[in-house]
Amino acid sequence: MLFGLLTITFFIIRLAPGDPVSMYIQSDVDPEYADNLREVLGLSDPLPVQYVKWLKGTLTGELGMSFSKHAAVGDILLETIPNTVLLTAVALVFNFLVGIIIGIITALKRGSTLDHSVNITALFVYSMPEFWLGLMLILGVSLHLGILPASGMHSPMAKYLSLPAYVWDVVEHMILPVFVLGVASAAATGRYMRGSLLEVINQDYIRTARAKGLSEVLVIGKHALRNALIPIITLLGLSLPFLLGGAVIVETVFAWPGMGKLTIDAIFSRDYPLIIACTMVSGVMVILGNLVADLLYALIDPRIRYE
Amino acid sequence: MSPRYLFVALLCCGLVVSCGKKSGEKDPMSETAVVALSGDADNLNPVVANSATSGDIQGNIYPTMFDVSFNTREGKLEFEPSLVTRWEFTNGGKDVVLHLRPDVRWEDGILVTPQDIKFSYELYGDPEVASPRRSYLESMIQTDGKFDVDRSIEIIDDTTMVFHFTRQYPLQLFHLNLSPIPRHIYRNADRKTMRSNPANEHPVGAGPFKLEEWTRQQQIVVSRNVNSKLPYPAKLERVIFRVISEPTTRLTELKKGAVDVMRPVYPEDVADIQESSPDIKLVTLPPRSYEYIGWMNIDAKEYHASGKKTIRPHPLFGDRRVRQALTYAINRKAILDDQLGPYGELAVTDFSPIFRWAIQHDLIPYPYDPDRAKQLLRSAGWSDSNGDGVLDKGGKNFEFTLYYNVGNKRREYVATIVQENLKQVGIKVNLQSVEPVVLYQNIEEKKYDAFVAGFSVGLAIDPSDRWGDINSPFNNVAFSHRRVSELLKLGLHVPTERDAGPFWKEIQSILHQEQPCTFLYWIKDIVGQNRRLKRVNINVLGVTDHMWEWTIGDPKSSVTY
Repeated sequence: MLFGLLTITFFIIRLAPGDPVSMYIQSDVDPEYADNLREVLGLSDPLPVQYVKWLKGTLTGELGMSFSKHAAVGDILLETIPNTVLLTAVALVFNFLVGIIIGIITALKRGSTLDHSVNITALFVYSMPEFWLGLMLILGVSLHLGILPASGMHSPMAKYLSLPAYVWDVVEHMILPVFVLGVASAAATGRYMRGSLLEVINQDYIRTARAKGLSEVLVIGKHALRNALIPIITLLGLSLPFLLGGAVIVETVFAWPGMGKLTIDAIFSRDYPLIIACTMVSGVMVILGNLVADLLYALIDPRIRYE
Repeated sequence: MSPRYLFVALLCCGLVVSCGKKSGEKDPMSETAVVALSGDADNLNPVVANSATSGDIQGNIYPTMFDVSFNTREGKLEFEPSLVTRWEFTNGGKDVVLHLRPDVRWEDGILVTPQDIKFSYELYGDPEVASPRRSYLESMIQTDGKFDVDRSIEIIDDTTMVFHFTRQYPLQLFHLNLSPIPRHIYRNADRKTMRSNPANEHPVGAGPFKLEEWTRQQQIVVSRNVNSKLPYPAKLERVIFRVISEPTTRLTELKKGAVDVMRPVYPEDVADIQESSPDIKLVTLPPRSYEYIGWMNIDAKEYHASGKKTIRPHPLFGDRRVRQALTYAINRKAILDDQLGPYGELAVTDFSPIFRWAIQHDLIPYPYDPDRAKQLLRSAGWSDSNGDGVLDKGGKNFEFTLYYNVGNKRREYVATIVQENLKQVGIKVNLQSVEPVVLYQNIEEKKYDAFVAGFSVGLAIDPSDRWGDINSPFNNVAFSHRRVSELLKLGLHVPTERDAGPFWKEIQSILHQEQPCTFLYWIKDIVGQNRRLKRVNINVLGVTDHMWEWTIGDPKSSVTY
């Protein structure tokens, strides 16, 4: 699957108009230089030759050199992937934690004012563009209230901090981006959770549980929740691509040094090796996400077993 | 639920520590300035680096041959000693003798020698390295069309070397100002993969700063090079360049004081900054870039179909009167006032107003005059013979597509105004926005008849890349004029810059008359700077010019030392 994705990407970016060398053509640049450069970058070969070379490289783990960053693609990714993973992982946790809590509350208080207002808020948040929300939070929380940093992953001189202070520094920088990245999906998850829980609550076995005198906490927490969570797990796998897509915007707005920003830069500078590598990493992450979701099924639903 | 506990635990740790750290240790930020940049550096090796960010940083790390400044009153570059202590021209100006400082050392303690400089120039000139600055060496001695390092550069002794040129010309010193890199580090480096040489990540320089840390997409930290003699160790302990690409975020960090220097500030944000942030000083730079509407002067279809042989005037824009009419018909002043206000000025030609001595001052910018435009179009044979509201000639309507880059608000605005203005004189304009990389490639390949674009000029006058002939690299409108070509040759071969003045002035008169494109306006960049930073000299050379002199003081004090 990954191989197909990468092959398609390979041809799409090379067939798309635009020349990676053209970004170097500025007023003080020698035009001959462009031809030299094309040769040095391996762009003067015919397309099939480039493809075979690339394939060979990829199979041997050689991702090539980035055109625009002048460094090995592997090294660049090693610097940026952990940042994106951290951001999306925390956003994922935030998404499900908040989403599930909202879902439970609204399902239990179905029809109340609380339910309605939470629903409306969720709809509102869900339809808000991420870059707008991000900028508003930067202006409101960071500039006017002055309580959280507006950009970056840590303070510029964070390496001089002690370990706990460093961790706190990163947490501080993470609050806004994680919120922006996770809040829309949390609203969606909340809606799913509400629907799923409502469905379960009306089942016979819940009535049975109530009838045998179990406390409400046990009924909901042990019997209803576990079953209601199954469809939510599917969401987990599905929401990863959305989070990665959102990370592109959030990373740009908050100057978070991750892969999303890198991908955008790579596309605009027609940095083919870097585009392919970024696509590959995103692909792997999405596939892994789905795998984790599948494994979680087994954990939650005793009927599913993997042989 | 363990992540939750972990989170709470971290919060507690953080609180304890952040409360505890206030006293005692020196804050690493107290002697540190922060500069916000829109993009990361591509490379810190001056031979191959190409990004604007690299340019801002490497000049403070690597040794510079001269201490260059731009004299705004005179409008020309000035060279002061740096690694080169004095220099003289011999052999009728064709040879330049450089005397070097004997006591400059690379960061690792090894002396900077003439061998380093010669080796570096060899790299700059090597086609395999493909340095963006290879053309600087064009007027030195060439053998078989290639830069001949041994015949061009002669080492006399440990502190003296001679550069041989084929002619005397105004840009000689400018072309001798390429930064050397240490030979002992790069001697065995593979030329073809110079760009990705691992040594580039850990530059060994001799300038006032040295690289402390480079985290891609995030920050580049330079700190004081205590052993520097070029000219001396930086006064600040450290300068951090942070990559923040989103303009609003960047501006917020400036307003918060988390960033000390930031460019560009947009004209629409100026009033707010002046009102709400008294600690921020706004510096307006002299204009180096302009925007224009390109009109293809030749019939591009024929030109491409004939393999770049047939050169015939463009059916619409080939006539000078039509081009003049277009400039008359476009309300450039209104665009300027709306988009830039005091941070722009109407462009007459593409000779930047910063070169005061070379400017033909008596040229009057074309006013907005639709009636004059109609008159000129009529005299060129265009009239609305079929009454459809669009001018026509020989059965063909005056209609074209104007291309501009998507996402650039100012150019989008220009395009819509042009469409509206030209409709008034009976010309139909279709608008088409294009992704930037594709747009520039097509403009460069002369595929568009009309487009909105911009251009930045260098610090020394050299219009030959635009107006030399049809194949000049940036002659995107295929303008050619015999007298202009002659004047260019004359202007570029005079002994000193000033002698070229009369030739440049005549070219401007011709460009003004011919209107190869409609020059819109010059743009003055605005830089925001926190007043706590002292002795900052932000100028046309960049925000980091003479960065080693920066100090940090009380933002309220007006003392500038």
